[in-house]
Amino acid sequence: MTSVTTRYLMTCAAIGAALGVLLIPANFVSAPLAAAAPMAYAPMVGLWIIGPVLALALLRRPGAAVLTTFVAGVVSSASPVGVYSIVTCLMAGAAVELAFLVTRYRVWRPWLFFVDALVFGAAYIASGWVAFDMGSMAPVVLVTFVVLMLGSFLACTWLGLFLAGRLARAGVARGLAPARGSATPAEVVPDAAR
Amino acid sequence: MNGLGDLRTYNPLVKVLGPVPVMVYVVTTRDVLTPALVALGAFAVLAVAGRQSPRVLAAIAGGAAALTVVMTFSFGLLTDPALVADTTVLATVGGFEVRSGALATGLATAVRTVALMMLVLLGGLTTSGADVVRAMTQQLHLPYRVGYAALAALRFVPRFGHELEVIRGAHRVRGVAPGRGPVVAVRRQAGYVVPLLAGGIRHAERVSLAMDARGFGAHPTRTERTVVPFGARDVVLLLSFWAGAAACAVLAATLTPA
Repeated sequence: MTSVTTRYLMTCAAIGAALGVLLIPANFVSAPLAAAAPMAYAPMVGLWIIGPVLALALLRRPGAAVLTTFVAGVVSSASPVGVYSIVTCLMAGAAVELAFLVTRYRVWRPWLFFVDALVFGAAYIASGWVAFDMGSMAPVVLVTFVVLMLGSFLACTWLGLFLAGRLARAGVARGLAPARGSATPAEVVPDAAR
Repeated sequence: MNGLGDLRTYNPLVKVLGPVPVMVYVVTTRDVLTPALVALGAFAVLAVAGRQSPRVLAAIAGGAAALTVVMTFSFGLLTDPALVADTTVLATVGGFEVRSGALATGLATAVRTVALMMLVLLGGLTTSGADVVRAMTQQLHLPYRVGYAALAALRFVPRFGHELEVIRGAHRVRGVAPGRGPVVAVRRQAGYVVPLLAGGIRHAERVSLAMDARGFGAHPTRTERTVVPFGARDVVLLLSFWAGAAACAVLAATLTPA
């Protein structure tokens, strides 16, 4: 833990707090919506991965997704599901983190984020299969459900990457993330030298 | 009667992680009786030891009843008609047949969801997020720097509101996305996202400098202002959660005609 700077921790905390604020109303809406109209709930599921995707794409450091979602869960525990939002958020964060762990944090290309979203989406649908008894649903309903959920994950991954790009261009977290291809060496000052 | 005492005084980890095996079990059930008994049991514990106001308890009970009705129909409609073709037709709405088998499937899903909701509320309503973080650093040995980062993040939230006001004012002065109508409003709102995030991160960086200056994280351990104890009574609560769930399963099995 000593290898992690306080600046990195607090940057993840700030992104997590922003995601947490977004998730409080989402928690209020998602439970009744999932119950009354599962079709309307399906496009919402991607909201949970905007934060971890944004943090990983911006900071490019191990653990950013899990840290961000942990903080997001704590902040969004002011909602009906309470502290269980920590568990939900951590699952999303771990899933996003996993693809980068497998590639040993060497690949940061956008395609890996999208592949990750597809794999996580499939795993999420598989887990919902049991809870929602989806095997007993009509085939047309099932296909719509799956397409909406995967679409939501992909769209939110794109949004996370887009926001990370805009923030990086604004100079946020400069010197915290490892050097990007476009940055000249002079621009990247190590943390200690600032 | 009140041997359990106040649920809020127990260790958060027991209240949050204790019901998880029960939840996994409930998800795998397909009958109506088992989740119904679990839901009633969880609600009873919440009512007796949760120290919730009568209004909150009434809202939970009403919400659970409404949820059951709504989900019975919404998930009944999603059920594959081919699977329940041999059950009786209860009504025909606009050429769509509502069969008893579809409603039975919907009801089972509904009761299962209500049982999960009750188990979530049991821990959720009696625990604060900050207490879970403290318990995680004290009992699960989460590095305290991570725990305190999360606690500090709770203080960021009111700051976001202030920051949003400043950004709004700045955008208005510079005439960013002026005009009326829903499209312009959406564009205006979207314009707040990046500055808000950038402002939040820069604030976090200043806070981290202040923390470093005060020697945060200089030592491997630290003293805690709020101690979250884990004692024998927490173990008793954990075991009684599981015993109660097992009792529900056994009772449902004996009540169900073979």
